[in-house]
Amino acid sequence: MDEAQAVEILESLLKHVDADGAEASFHSGARFTARFADNRLTQNVQAENATVSLAVSYGQRHGGASTNDLSPESLKALAERAQAAARVSPPDPEHMPPVTPEEAGEYSQVEAWDEATAALPAGERIEAVCAAMKDVEAAGYRLSGAHTSSAGLHVLMNSAGVRCAHRSTESELHCTALGDHGSGWAQATSVRDADIDTAGVAREALEIARAAQHPTDIEPGRYTVILRPAAVWEMIPFYLVCDAKATDEGRTCLRGKLGTQIVDERVTLRSEPAFAACPGAPFQGDGMASSGLSWIGGGVLKHLCTSRYWARQSKRLATGWPSNLIFDGGEASLEELIASTERGILVTRFWYIRDVDPMESLLTGMTRDGLFLIEDGKISRPLIQLRFNDSVLGCLNRLEAIGQCERVENTYVPALKIRDFNFASKTKF
Amino acid sequence: MLELCRHAVGAARSLGADYADARVMEIRNQHLATEDQRVSGVHDAESMGIGVRVIVAGAWGFSATSRLTRPDAERAVRQAVEIARSGAAARATRELHWADEPPHVAEYRTPVRKDPFAVPVEDKIGLLLEVNKRALGVKGVTKCYSHMHFRRQHRWLATSEGAAIESDVCTSTACCTATAVNGTTAKQRYLEATPCNIGYEHIEQTPFLEEAERVGAEAVEHLSAKSCPSGQKDLILLPSHLALTMHESIGHATELDRAIGMEESLAGSSFATPDQIGKLKYGSPMMNVVADNTLPVGCASMGFDDDAVECQRYDLVREGMLAGFMCSRDTAHAMDAARSNGSCRADSWGSIPIVRQSNFSLEPGEAPLTLEELIADTKDGILIDGMGSFSIDQKRYNFQFGGDCFWEIKNGKLAGMLKDVTYWAITTDFWGSLDAICDRRFWEPIGVMNCGKGDPMQIAQMSHCTAPARFRQINVGPANR
Ligand SMILES: [Zn+2]
Repeated sequence: MDEAQAVEILESLLKHVDADGAEASFHSGARFTARFADNRLTQNVQAENATVSLAVSYGQRHGGASTNDLSPESLKALAERAQAAARVSPPDPEHMPPVTPEEAGEYSQVEAWDEATAALPAGERIEAVCAAMKDVEAAGYRLSGAHTSSAGLHVLMNSAGVRCAHRSTESELHCTALGDHGSGWAQATSVRDADIDTAGVAREALEIARAAQHPTDIEPGRYTVILRPAAVWEMIPFYLVCDAKATDEGRTCLRGKLGTQIVDERVTLRSEPAFAACPGAPFQGDGMASSGLSWIGGGVLKHLCTSRYWARQSKRLATGWPSNLIFDGGEASLEELIASTERGILVTRFWYIRDVDPMESLLTGMTRDGLFLIEDGKISRPLIQLRFNDSVLGCLNRLEAIGQCERVENTYVPALKIRDFNFASKTKF
Repeated sequence: MLELCRHAVGAARSLGADYADARVMEIRNQHLATEDQRVSGVHDAESMGIGVRVIVAGAWGFSATSRLTRPDAERAVRQAVEIARSGAAARATRELHWADEPPHVAEYRTPVRKDPFAVPVEDKIGLLLEVNKRALGVKGVTKCYSHMHFRRQHRWLATSEGAAIESDVCTSTACCTATAVNGTTAKQRYLEATPCNIGYEHIEQTPFLEEAERVGAEAVEHLSAKSCPSGQKDLILLPSHLALTMHESIGHATELDRAIGMEESLAGSSFATPDQIGKLKYGSPMMNVVADNTLPVGCASMGFDDDAVECQRYDLVREGMLAGFMCSRDTAHAMDAARSNGSCRADSWGSIPIVRQSNFSLEPGEAPLTLEELIADTKDGILIDGMGSFSIDQKRYNFQFGGDCFWEIKNGKLAGMLKDVTYWAITTDFWGSLDAICDRRFWEPIGVMNCGKGDPMQIAQMSHCTAPARFRQINVGPANR
């Protein structure tokens, strides 16, 4: 469905609304996944959906509903359901009226659409994946993974006159190469299918897997680590953006720290909707322009995720939530980071990271798919996987070096070298 | 809707599919959320669509659309057949095995006494706000969130083998979380009407109003609790906590698709493999684990799975030995089973069915044993209630868990609250240390609503049932050691 059709649907929906305030949004998407395991295709899956959501308010009373039945009767029923919920809800002192165009600010020009990717060429994806599997099989390894291409449209209209639309495509491939005694993993994400080098990603996973065979033990303890970008993505950025209200109420690890140095001064974490290598969305779910700003600049906590309500209460900028996160990188290549390390551990990626004590940004998680000991500036042997218990703020205060960036999901993150990283226990493979 | 499903299946057959099924689902989710004395959200979401799954020349294809007209369903069928053919042409599909199942023509409905969607929104909100008010009345509690979630999944499924199934599943849950803050930290405590396939009567039977103050007081007490000592302790785990340990260390480890490498790239694999059935010592001899998708309140109970297989009860672990896996029709062969045990589900009309955890139960002890007696029999231990931090490696060996609330046990008595408790173990060592389970009177189902698996990720629901149980000499300590 295109923008004009979406607008038509939202306009007809808003005609059924008699509430004081209304915000209607349309999300449609289609995606194709070629999934594989053990050098064989396992699932080829295509799906499309289009959903309309409506939030309405009578004064401070509000309610919401959504449906993917876009028939005229269903849209009418949707308006009735949302309004019925709003009418019986007690007034919410934190409810804000719909965003006005002036308040919304200027939307960034975000280029995130690729026609060829949106066409979801299933046959091509399947062929590329099969060719990669043949290469890996010939090397005596087993390839598993998934390649997903997707296209989406988001249109938003509200009763205060905001109307905005954004469409985006994404192509994401991840591969695990498995030998009898160890595995490797690699990924690539882009707006464009054409950017994804299927054979190259599979080869990278294979090279890591080759080096990871027959791992041996190392005692848990504190080690210097080099985290590759995929490991950084999973452990670092999301724990550094906290809700402003919860923080001001003393309920997050960033309580009382706004405006202060929280991590190494080389750390800058920011959002920039139009960042070409990893674009975000130009507007938030309520129609506010997505902010281009630094959450952390020069190691100083500059902003918390601030809702419109909390911005008014705390007299700060309404930032909303980030739609992309960019951790500014350095010059050092991974090889240089390794070469500069006398003794340390190289982490390909993490798995199953969870909070242990969110108030201390203390996390636990496992390493996965390639863990290596570095001695005298060289990889000396593969290691049995380890569990870590360490804090995000602590790690970024023990920063040794920042490497080059890579896009991982909706972040653009570097490899990091961190000293005294705490490994707590080991597993059996 | 069954008519539309049958039409799609017929269209697939006429395009050359050797097997086809079509599944329409109408899913409704109602969320009500409150923060302190305000209503932060009331949202009612409905989603409907059809998913078509075909086998063509030995390859799978799946396509789904939210449009429910005949031409749209036919378009989905054509896409499913087309991508299956692309797969077949690449000659890289795995050998297909498809376990037999009689073609059931049947209906299934969750037993519901009070339809949660028919209960007025204002009544539900009123209860949540009153719970918050009571918890906030406790000195030191500065924040209280509570919410309710109701889900209804109406499904119509037809297969080219002649199965025609309609099911209507209703799930209800509610939870209240109180937070206490002092100058240095914050601690939470929750109270839950655990997710169950049941109606609103479940919410009414949960003593939210009676217990709200206790929950608030325990959050406050947690702030000043003694830090967890490091070392080996006996653990007594309450069902509200043990359910998650079971989910991670038994449930995911006994999904057959994982065990044979089909989930390697995302969820991972398993230390348990089908060749070890009857040979792998999973735990102590008193460990009996039974999967049961016929349990009416179990969140995975839906009469028939999305392979159109009748839900069943079967062994996963018998007297401490690995006894079986949860499977689908196309994986059953990997454990030499002639029939699937009916554990294949999709989280929506738009997702392909995959092996999912069944409801399963750690069978209660046969001899009478109360929690009080179990505590009285424990010299140096920790009692853990509720879910907290949880993490496990991708082969399900090494895990580390926290919890919601912890009490020290000294010489058979509770000796005050602890904080910063984590415990970690290797799965088979942990289950090998199981030495007592309370009896059936204390056995209860605990629901899980957010189990992620698959790629693209699917979120499934299921229940794990247990009575309080004791594990000897487990490594414990604060995680920042
Ligand atoms: Zn799970």
